[in-house]
Amino acid sequence: MKSGPIGIASAAVFAMCLVPSIAVAQAPKKAPSVINPPPTAQDWADIAKLPDWSGVWNPKISDQDAQVKTNPPPWNEEAAKKIAKMFAEEKAGRPFLVFSNCLPEAHPSWMLVTHNAMEVLFTPGRVTMLGESDGNRLRRIYTDGRGHPETSDPTFHGHSIGHWEGDTLVIDTTDIVPQAPLAISEAAGLPNNGDLHVIERIHLAEKDILHDDLEIIAPHILTKPWKTTRIFFRQRARKFDIVEGVCATGDLVERVNADGDHIFVPVQKSEWGHTTAIPAK
Amino acid sequence: MRQVMKSFAALALLAAMATGISQVAAHHSAAMFDFSKTQTLKGKVVELRWVNPHVTLTMTGTLTADEAPGEWLMETTSPGNLVRVGGWRRDIVKPGDEVEVVFHPLRDPDKKMGLMRQLTTLSNGEVFAANIRDQEKPGLE
Repeated sequence: MKSGPIGIASAAVFAMCLVPSIAVAQAPKKAPSVINPPPTAQDWADIAKLPDWSGVWNPKISDQDAQVKTNPPPWNEEAAKKIAKMFAEEKAGRPFLVFSNCLPEAHPSWMLVTHNAMEVLFTPGRVTMLGESDGNRLRRIYTDGRGHPETSDPTFHGHSIGHWEGDTLVIDTTDIVPQAPLAISEAAGLPNNGDLHVIERIHLAEKDILHDDLEIIAPHILTKPWKTTRIFFRQRARKFDIVEGVCATGDLVERVNADGDHIFVPVQKSEWGHTTAIPAK
Repeated sequence: MRQVMKSFAALALLAAMATGISQVAAHHSAAMFDFSKTQTLKGKVVELRWVNPHVTLTMTGTLTADEAPGEWLMETTSPGNLVRVGGWRRDIVKPGDEVEVVFHPLRDPDKKMGLMRQLTTLSNGEVFAANIRDQEKPGLE
């Protein structure tokens, strides 16, 4: 049986009526979008009332070194055995490579053991930490009153929310990948193995000295929360401005190929991470 | 048989690749160097590799006046730290420049490698420090 023009038109009208009703019936309920509002002049004016954290901040590495012995984390029994083995290997000249593959040092190890500088930027609703190399590239700390996300999406630096208590920035960080090491040196550190929670209180201890008071809760490798203060000192000379540092270039050397193109080629590294051979030009 | 030989060759190639493969690394401990020994090497620059996180200097040089020059590989901290601690720049040396390097040698004495602590450019006597912890000394700017 053939459909006449009226029959086709009726079917089309019926379909047009049906499709939207099906679409409405199947559409999942969407949560209303939360908008990050544009900052107001008052928001920017409030930034000026915050303490002055401008300049380049360098870690006090000698204090990091000292705390390996003076303030060790309360490792659980299994973790303590692994750390003891790492110390023995380091002493024997075979240091364990805590940071490999140029992955981020991650939170909180960036704060704990970095050897590189950082700077801190204040904008409305946000504090941003920028590191010198991509081992410690970037921390975003939301100060706009939001909470942690309902659905966990772990990252190397986790999800950080902060607020100001006077001149102290209080930061709460969760959702850090379980592989992120809790490192006490470049040769001693263990994956946190999940459920890591870090609380920080960052403040100026002196005019050019910044303290990060950390409380680290790592239930799978520590017996109780670990408290430590990490010290950063300020430099202001323009010659010390932070420049780009790309970790992966450490595994490469600049060369020119047969076509005259500038390229990178791999160098040889030892299992402990130091460079052992560089291809000739 | 031919197929077996091909498989064997493929396995051998994989084994060679596995043993010769470059270790990708980020920041690492310096425990492979012998901090109880400090040596001085004099010679000519082959190449300064200005990369993060560890700068390297390759050079031909001698520890004593009566030995034949050998090729050495020195490692040190990152460009940013060298700038801050010792006023380094990418262009402080070029291939062929005469330099003197103070370093801690690798624990394995058969390998000509070291952790560079200081570099002096002999044409003008300029000294460039390379110990990262020296940044903490007073007199900061």
